[in-house]
Amino acid sequence: MLDTLQLMGQGFISALSFINLLAMIGGVALGIVIGCLPGLSAAMGVALMLPLTFTMPADTGLIVLGAIYCGAIFGGSISAILIHTPGTPASAATAIEGYQMTLNGQAGKALATACWSSFWGGLLSCISLYFFAPLLAQLALKFMSAEKFWLGIFGLTIIAGVSSKSIVKGLMSGALGLIISTIGLDPIDGTKRFMFGQAFLAEGVNTTCALIGLFSMSQVFILAEQEIKKRARAAKFSDKIMLTKEERKKIRPTIIRSWIMGNIIGILPGAGASIACFMGYNSAKQFSKHKEEFGHGAIEGVAGSEAANNAVTGGSLIPMLTLGIPGESVTAVLMGGLIIQGLAPGPELFTKHAAMTYTFFAGFVLVQFFMLAIGTLGCRGFAQISRLSDAILIPCVTVLCVIGSYAIHKNMSDVIVMLIFGVLGYLMRKFDLNTAAVVLALILGPISEKGLRGALRVSDGDIGCLFQSPVSWVLIILSIVGIFSPFLMEKFEKKVSGGEVLEE
Amino acid sequence: MKMKKTDIGVVAFMYAVCAFFYVYSFDLSESSKSYPLFTITLLFGLTTLYLVQMILAAKKFGVESGADTVFEGFRPKQFLLAVVLTAVYVVLINALGFFTATTLFMIASFVYLKVPVLHSVIALVAMDLLIYLAFVLFLGVRLPAGILI
Repeated sequence: MLDTLQLMGQGFISALSFINLLAMIGGVALGIVIGCLPGLSAAMGVALMLPLTFTMPADTGLIVLGAIYCGAIFGGSISAILIHTPGTPASAATAIEGYQMTLNGQAGKALATACWSSFWGGLLSCISLYFFAPLLAQLALKFMSAEKFWLGIFGLTIIAGVSSKSIVKGLMSGALGLIISTIGLDPIDGTKRFMFGQAFLAEGVNTTCALIGLFSMSQVFILAEQEIKKRARAAKFSDKIMLTKEERKKIRPTIIRSWIMGNIIGILPGAGASIACFMGYNSAKQFSKHKEEFGHGAIEGVAGSEAANNAVTGGSLIPMLTLGIPGESVTAVLMGGLIIQGLAPGPELFTKHAAMTYTFFAGFVLVQFFMLAIGTLGCRGFAQISRLSDAILIPCVTVLCVIGSYAIHKNMSDVIVMLIFGVLGYLMRKFDLNTAAVVLALILGPISEKGLRGALRVSDGDIGCLFQSPVSWVLIILSIVGIFSPFLMEKFEKKVSGGEVLEE
Repeated sequence: MKMKKTDIGVVAFMYAVCAFFYVYSFDLSESSKSYPLFTITLLFGLTTLYLVQMILAAKKFGVESGADTVFEGFRPKQFLLAVVLTAVYVVLINALGFFTATTLFMIASFVYLKVPVLHSVIALVAMDLLIYLAFVLFLGVRLPAGILI
């Protein structure tokens, strides 16, 4: 206990270094910009910025990515409130009451509510991050080769179902990713596999190139195929971006309810911020003493949605950091960032790399304060950015994809790989396949292979070794549940969004 | 739900991937190809399962094109130009140098997409500056200089 408190304290001291503070400010500002641009998503922003973190210390790099994540989730509310277009799906529910408030001449108040609620949602979510992450990591200590194999399978079944309209298509995406993950040198005996005479494939397909291609370049192609639309002019507003004491008191219970819901949704693999915002909004409506205000610009509606979607951020990091199971696209990309730094999710993050992990946690706490400050002070400026045309975004994002993938090994081969994955990602998205499942399979594939072949080697090829421990059985059952999770999620989504199916 | 004709392409692509990797796995040693064969079998099995689902859906509910949803609002000329410009840009990086190729690519894109001149200039300067500060100065990336410099 004392050790943990000491690590927490040290984490805050390290997080308060000049470079880390700079990383938080830059990350949050960049995240808000990405979030408030309707064509861009949080996952895409984090993927695009991954190469910039290569030369940074691990904690600083992760703080930047975490700051972009939080900033982007909040940033989506700015365009939702001012131009009635959610920047990210996580702010879809915010647009309902937020834009009504704008029409009522209360845009400043709506933005202040979004900032305040996002701040508390994110800050409170850090409590569960501090509390549950080390506990879950202890459990992961018991995992041997067979359990690691099943853990990989469980992770894949969960992510394969997320945002796929067909379960089988989601699983097919994961299996495709697993095949691609076998490219490169055999992890056990070093034999060349599917390298087609290309030396740069020795280490396998570069995960960062794949991430940039699948999430960012594919988005460029999606934007390029559609008519370039003129975005609505952001509403001008003169009221202050500030809440009165009474208003803060009014939304307090809503924030607490949304925090609890958002946090639980974040921890559950498969659910995400887009579901949480509708749950937060619905519960705010249900428990409000002023139900008549809903639909006409209810401050509690904005608070419910924004506190819930930001409460997801801390919670969603828990299964990713401890078990290596990212529950949604953004955490899958963040896991890529962790692996690029040479760190593997699991117990070692809380033992060998505890100092780095607790610095990241502390950074995540501080990021919320910067989000509040930058969000409140910069709302007017970000509102103008949210109108940026896709015609400008298309070439700019393309250039960032190219330079980002080139910077990895400073050769054009990575750019080619990124482009191939860009085309693959585009086609996958067009035909309802799941790009996040491919990314996860690329990360989990080698881990699963080592687990499977390691277990078989120890047992002289006896496949029964995969079914011996209780932990293996728990993971097998969870994998089966994971396969059917899309059915449950679809029903859940329809229930919380009133029949409107959400898309990540 | 009706079977979508566009999904035939998805199934064909997945089978092609299986066949491609299966053929290439012939050269591998027994131990080295065991896991790839497991993943190929997995994809093959899932694709076949999806094919069965498609056939059942076709028998029960009928068949629809699916192209109308896949290509809704699709602008072929704009899309192809974006793809061609990107390909030419990547090819030109080594020949003309990163900054020259980037500037030309962005100007060409802005002109085609009818971005106002002032916005184009601001975006171009901002991008070049961002790349120089973040990648050249901060990360120390040596970008291709090309034959012109």
